[in-house]
Amino acid sequence: MSFLQPWLLLGLPLLLLPIIIHLINQWRYQTKKWGAMMFLLAANRMSRGYAKIRQYLILAARCAAIAGLIFAVSRPLASGLLGFSGGKADTTIILLDRSPSMQDRSQGGAESKLDTARRQLRQSLQTIGSNRWVLIDGATNKPQEFEDVQDVFDSPSTFTSSASSDLPAMMQSAVEYLQNNKPGQTEVWICSDLREADWNASSSQWSAVRDAFSKLPQTVRFHLLAYPDRVPENLAVRVTDVSREQSETGSELVLSLMLNREEGKTESKTVPIQFEVNGARSELSVEMTGSTVEVKNHRVSIDQNQPRGWGRVSIPSDANNADNDFYFVFDLPPPRRTIVIGEDADATRPLELAASISPDPRVEAIVDRFTIDQASSIDWDDSGLILWQGRLPTDSLAKSLTGFLKRGGSILFFPPTPNDSGNVNGIGETSNEFAGIRWSGWKASEKTMVENWRGDQDLLAATRSGASLPVGQVELKGHATLSGELVSLASLSGGDALLAKSPTEQGGVYFFTASTSPKFSNLARGGIVLYVAIQRALDKGLVSLSNTRAMVAGADEEEQREPWRKVAGPTEILSTEYALQGGVYEGNERLISVNRSMQEDQNGVVEEGQLGELFRGLDLHRVESKAGSTSSIVREVWRLFLICMIVAMIAEAAMCLPKIVKRQGALA
Amino acid sequence: MITERKPRSFLDSGVLARLGGLPLMSRRPMLGQVSGRHASPHRGASVEFAEYRKYVPGDDLRRLDWRAYGRTDRYYIKEFEADTNLRCCLIVDTSGSMDVGSVGITKLEYARRIAATLGYLAVQQGDAIGLTCVANGIVNNVPARRNAAHLSNVFDVLEQAKPVGETKLDEILHEIAETTRQRALIVILSDLFVEPASLRSCFEHLRFRKHDVAAFHLLDPEEFSFAFQRPTRFIDLEGGPAIFAEPSEIADRYHRALKTYLEDLKKVVLETGVDYRRVSIDSPFENILTQFLVDRARGNGGR
Repeated sequence: MSFLQPWLLLGLPLLLLPIIIHLINQWRYQTKKWGAMMFLLAANRMSRGYAKIRQYLILAARCAAIAGLIFAVSRPLASGLLGFSGGKADTTIILLDRSPSMQDRSQGGAESKLDTARRQLRQSLQTIGSNRWVLIDGATNKPQEFEDVQDVFDSPSTFTSSASSDLPAMMQSAVEYLQNNKPGQTEVWICSDLREADWNASSSQWSAVRDAFSKLPQTVRFHLLAYPDRVPENLAVRVTDVSREQSETGSELVLSLMLNREEGKTESKTVPIQFEVNGARSELSVEMTGSTVEVKNHRVSIDQNQPRGWGRVSIPSDANNADNDFYFVFDLPPPRRTIVIGEDADATRPLELAASISPDPRVEAIVDRFTIDQASSIDWDDSGLILWQGRLPTDSLAKSLTGFLKRGGSILFFPPTPNDSGNVNGIGETSNEFAGIRWSGWKASEKTMVENWRGDQDLLAATRSGASLPVGQVELKGHATLSGELVSLASLSGGDALLAKSPTEQGGVYFFTASTSPKFSNLARGGIVLYVAIQRALDKGLVSLSNTRAMVAGADEEEQREPWRKVAGPTEILSTEYALQGGVYEGNERLISVNRSMQEDQNGVVEEGQLGELFRGLDLHRVESKAGSTSSIVREVWRLFLICMIVAMIAEAAMCLPKIVKRQGALA
Repeated sequence: MITERKPRSFLDSGVLARLGGLPLMSRRPMLGQVSGRHASPHRGASVEFAEYRKYVPGDDLRRLDWRAYGRTDRYYIKEFEADTNLRCCLIVDTSGSMDVGSVGITKLEYARRIAATLGYLAVQQGDAIGLTCVANGIVNNVPARRNAAHLSNVFDVLEQAKPVGETKLDEILHEIAETTRQRALIVILSDLFVEPASLRSCFEHLRFRKHDVAAFHLLDPEEFSFAFQRPTRFIDLEGGPAIFAEPSEIADRYHRALKTYLEDLKKVVLETGVDYRRVSIDSPFENILTQFLVDRARGNGGR
């Protein structure tokens, strides 16, 4: 049992008051000379045991009445949420998972998990109280301070969003807040449906967060308000691919989409899918027998004169409406234009070839080749990628390339190649650097192999089917070395980088330390690694040139630097939250679709054992609830103690009542 | 006679004057030494005819009823009732328990007043008065005499009586029953805190000895009501261990024990023919005595 005013329990010694008064009363006895001792002795012999018991019972009733009063004013809670010490916390941090999965409704219920959580938390925290309220919502992971608990739950940051939550990041944010603000006793309320996608239990961040919480000087208690129940009848729709095609008869959108439901479901079900493209609606019925159905290349006719637009795919309302809509945007793809600048024809030739082969035959690939001397006169605006071979740009050329980067373009640098005498021009010069990185030297070798590379992201990531790129087959006969602040994406034996990236706010700056000249590497001969890296860099660069963009909600909030205008999507959302809410928006003359992440369609839940491991060494109290639950998680039970007190007082009064004695007759 | 003596605190001249007109009568024939106003078991020379009996040689011929002889031709002796005085033995309990008094007067003081007044009235009408102070034995004993100077001795003893010691009334009453000549008026002034069964044998003994027994049962109002509010340490005035009690706890059982005792005592006095008076010491003793004397006068003694 916990108490909201535990310091009032210091009054518990008052329980002894009736006993002390009784003893004082006994001590303050009167002395009486008495003659009729024979009656006193007879009275003492009669029912002595019962009289003693009654006396003890009266004392016990008085003590119970005082105890009842003290416990009642200490405001006891039915659950032991606050531990024995209880009391008002100095700071209460609420970690609120507002991901789409929190929109699950129980069978026939009108209230979602998030609404239930908000209501239950509001009631409970109002009862418990705190000096300071901090909200960290799962969409932004940023702590927001509030004066009053009502303000917390009136905040738009507690309403649903399309963004997935990242519990480790939220915990990290909480611990950073505590480290920076150094509050006193802290209660952390985590409100989540325990989805694996949100909790990311395998993340290494958990151990760091756990250690950080353990080292905090103040007491931190965690309360997990969990809604792990899965909704059995829920369908989720997702557009996996969209492209605009021009046919003989007109323009068409080619859509691929996927329907998901809980694993293990086998009963047949017909799902009507509604398409809305630029306001025009069409419908498609899909027979669903397994847990997943994929619709490939569904064609929807569009206006031939409309190069770009937006659309929405919807399914009928079910237990979770947050995954019933999926938005998409389409546009004519921008030309795949690449600029190759180089000094060595042997080295630049493979680059031209790799850039000139478009992965999509319907999109033309354009490659323009220039020398470094001609570079100052190039128009960069309609290019997505610059392949630069040779010494690094300086002065005005460097400024132009920085502008290109800021626009969102990609640059891939290749080192200058040694001449026949073995000298390398442009390497080792301290003034010759770009984005804080410079070529520091050239290492000649007979054969250098790639030791490891980042296969999970960026230019050398594995293919969609999961197959790794053959980076291990790359052989070098000499390579350049880099100095500066860089992130290595592939390392050679010996520790030098093969491919490195400079961290920039916009665009991408990559450095290949191997020359593409056949004399120094087999990059050109093997071709695959070079081709994939160049095409991926080009794809990144073309994003800035495209008039449309598909975003995952909450993945890149910085994208919303310019004010957006809502084109389609749910009503009653704040413009500041457009990047977090599913819909179609227009900003900076581009159409942007925002949707939930792919992980949101997975139904896995973090198990009890995993949770125990994640919070190992921390004080965690778990409260189970479900969507639509009307019970309160914190209930004050002072009335019970008040009733006990009244009962004790009545019992005491009844036992103290003098017996009705028949009036004695006159003496004489 | 009284005016010559020093004033006694237990004598109220007003009460004596008011009660002076009421005779102290015995309920049974008494055996006195001189002529008095009480019936005697013997025939005497009073004017009140008692009976005829046959003449036997030796009888005084002056008492032969010649008229009866003339009618019946037989000799009859005409006998008359004898009038005698009485011996009034006042037995005053001076045990420690008589020191109780919550109304400004102790039981012993109340007993003194009754005893002194009765003694005065008895002597006034020519009866002998004796006094026995008893506690755990006979503390003081003044034999019954009928002169006025003797009354002063009785008052002195009453005045000097101290409430000390435990009560052994039952044993002493047996002793008094044996040592007092037959046919006396025995007036017991006590709180009678003795088991009724013991008293029964005492009263029967006294009755057997043809004494007229009157008992004034003196009780303090507090002993009867037992209305205490605070825890009380009751000190036994007769030297027993003190008892600590919560009156509110014990009152009902106390009353039950008292009630049982009084009922048993009532039964005993009824069955042994004791003139029993239960007296609360907050009531005026004059009223008690008036009622006592009037009741006795109505009963016309033992005749």
